[in-house]
Amino acid sequence: MNTKTSAKGVGTDSETTMGNPYHNKTAQWIAYALFFLALAAIPFSVDDDFLLNQLATYGVYGMLALSISLCWGFGGILNLGQGIAFGLGAYGMAMTMQMQTQTAENPIPPIMLNNGLDYLPFLWWPFQNTVSGLIFAVGIPTLFCAVFGRIMFKARVSGAFFAIMTLAMLSAFYTIILDQQAYTGGVNGITPPSPLQLGSFQIDPYSPAAYWTVFFALLIATVIAKLITQSSFGLVTQAIRDDAERVRFLGYSVSSYETTIYTISGLIAAVAGCLWVMVVQYVSPAQLDVGLSISMVIWAAIGGRMSLLWAIIGAFLIQGGQSYLGDAFLSTWLLILGGFFIVVVRFLPNGLASLVEAGLGMLASKPKETSFREPSGVKPVPSE
Amino acid sequence: MAGLLEISHLCKSFDTIKVIDDFSLEVTEGTLCCLVGPNGAGKTTTMDLITGRIKPTSGKIIFAGEDITGADEHAIARAGIGRKFQVPAVLRDLTVRENLSVAYSRQTNPFWNLCRFKVPGLEQKIDEIATLADLTHRLGEKAGILSHGETQWLEISMVLMQEPRLMLMDEPIAGMTEGEIEKTARIFKDLRKSTTLIVVEHDMGFVREIADVVTVMHMGTLLAQGSLHEIEADPRVRSVYLGEQEAA
Repeated sequence: MNTKTSAKGVGTDSETTMGNPYHNKTAQWIAYALFFLALAAIPFSVDDDFLLNQLATYGVYGMLALSISLCWGFGGILNLGQGIAFGLGAYGMAMTMQMQTQTAENPIPPIMLNNGLDYLPFLWWPFQNTVSGLIFAVGIPTLFCAVFGRIMFKARVSGAFFAIMTLAMLSAFYTIILDQQAYTGGVNGITPPSPLQLGSFQIDPYSPAAYWTVFFALLIATVIAKLITQSSFGLVTQAIRDDAERVRFLGYSVSSYETTIYTISGLIAAVAGCLWVMVVQYVSPAQLDVGLSISMVIWAAIGGRMSLLWAIIGAFLIQGGQSYLGDAFLSTWLLILGGFFIVVVRFLPNGLASLVEAGLGMLASKPKETSFREPSGVKPVPSE
Repeated sequence: MAGLLEISHLCKSFDTIKVIDDFSLEVTEGTLCCLVGPNGAGKTTTMDLITGRIKPTSGKIIFAGEDITGADEHAIARAGIGRKFQVPAVLRDLTVRENLSVAYSRQTNPFWNLCRFKVPGLEQKIDEIATLADLTHRLGEKAGILSHGETQWLEISMVLMQEPRLMLMDEPIAGMTEGEIEKTARIFKDLRKSTTLIVVEHDMGFVREIADVVTVMHMGTLLAQGSLHEIEADPRVRSVYLGEQEAA
């Protein structure tokens, strides 16, 4: 062993274990830490309340892209109906926030009164209490995913067929919510009159508190998702993505694994739905629109579905681009986005992440070559 | 000694075609049974029926005293039957090490596996199997880039990682070089000491080398069973299986 201490020496050491630092677990955790440090720095440098609120909504989009990456990138389950979990979570939160503003003298929300309903429907009962409201807001979509996933995966519905089933389910939910005006507010949705009240603390959407809530939720979701991908469970799901048929013969119940990853992904999306309403203070059937659910898949695809971090970055880039470039280009923006999507899918099937992967791979292989040319390795490798 | 695997009166029809027709077989623990027969005799279908990939129309399959007829694939695998496919089926996007780790399927519960990051004994087992299969230098590579022979070895290694009581090997030496075939024969003979094997193979030289018992299938039925010597002397086998030689 030589005793090189230069940075390139470190590079060659890792070469023996993993090669490309992109695949190095420690390096990945460092990249995730840096990313979240950068996000944590934002509230200290941004003074604009409106901008901070907008960035908080991007955090919600990031969580959705994360959930898609976990389910599709790692589990191989293409889900075009993530809006179900997101939307149900959002409605649950909006109902909870709405009920927080109802008083003893005025217990019925205006949605019902305006639609000729003079009592609180059974559907709304759990949301009268904030804690039970939040539990139901997250629990119902999660339970839905567990049951729906169980039925689908047990019957070995997979690939494009599963994607179509989720799409059909999403459309069904969209129609029901649109139709049941007295219970859901119909096309106008629910606009809770005041921000979320947690105990004596009010989370004003236009305050750093809202941003921090989304930040920590995204951080926790990302860490959990990352740990899942590195666990034995994560390895089996990746094996199922590769060849589900083969994995069955190794003794794993494929449908249980698929249901579990689909449900965890739905849980993350449901939490994102809750946070969305906390940040924007309204919900409408637009949250269950097919276009939004497909957008989630596009974010993950452009960023890189095989990388949780890059899926989140994909959401930031596309939604950021839509907000800022979309204003400048108006309807041309959709053409630009579509073209961009085609280019990425055609040339970078693993999204922008594969550019980074290739770049780091080249950097990592360079010092290896130089150390081969200089077998003595006593003097530091000359910079090129 | 009781049979580890007892197949009795197994039938499988696709539409009106009887692919397996009243097939019975008993495999004794600790033996290596070679399943031979002309193309279309139903050898791979039999493997599919044993491992649960397809469900039998009628008949019974008993493994280690347990009725596994028509059970799910994963349940049969957990009961202790490992399988290597005719067309090598490895997880091509995962590395060789990951393939072996997934195959080490002692814990199959998804919730347990969610909180498991280090599997006790895994590294040691991978070292042992990779050395045996000569894949140690390939552990970090994607399985998709392996040569055909190496892919065969990887899949055999995956079956070994499963530590099954019964191993089904569907054409394990297809595409292997002479040297690799010799090594496979050596390892199979070694495995027989600790497990039971059923090997589907066309290469009669290889069968001669490894088989304790040879079972000949023809048109979905059992044609003959015995030592290779007895089989070769059987006139029925000669007519259906070695027919060409007689004609010549």
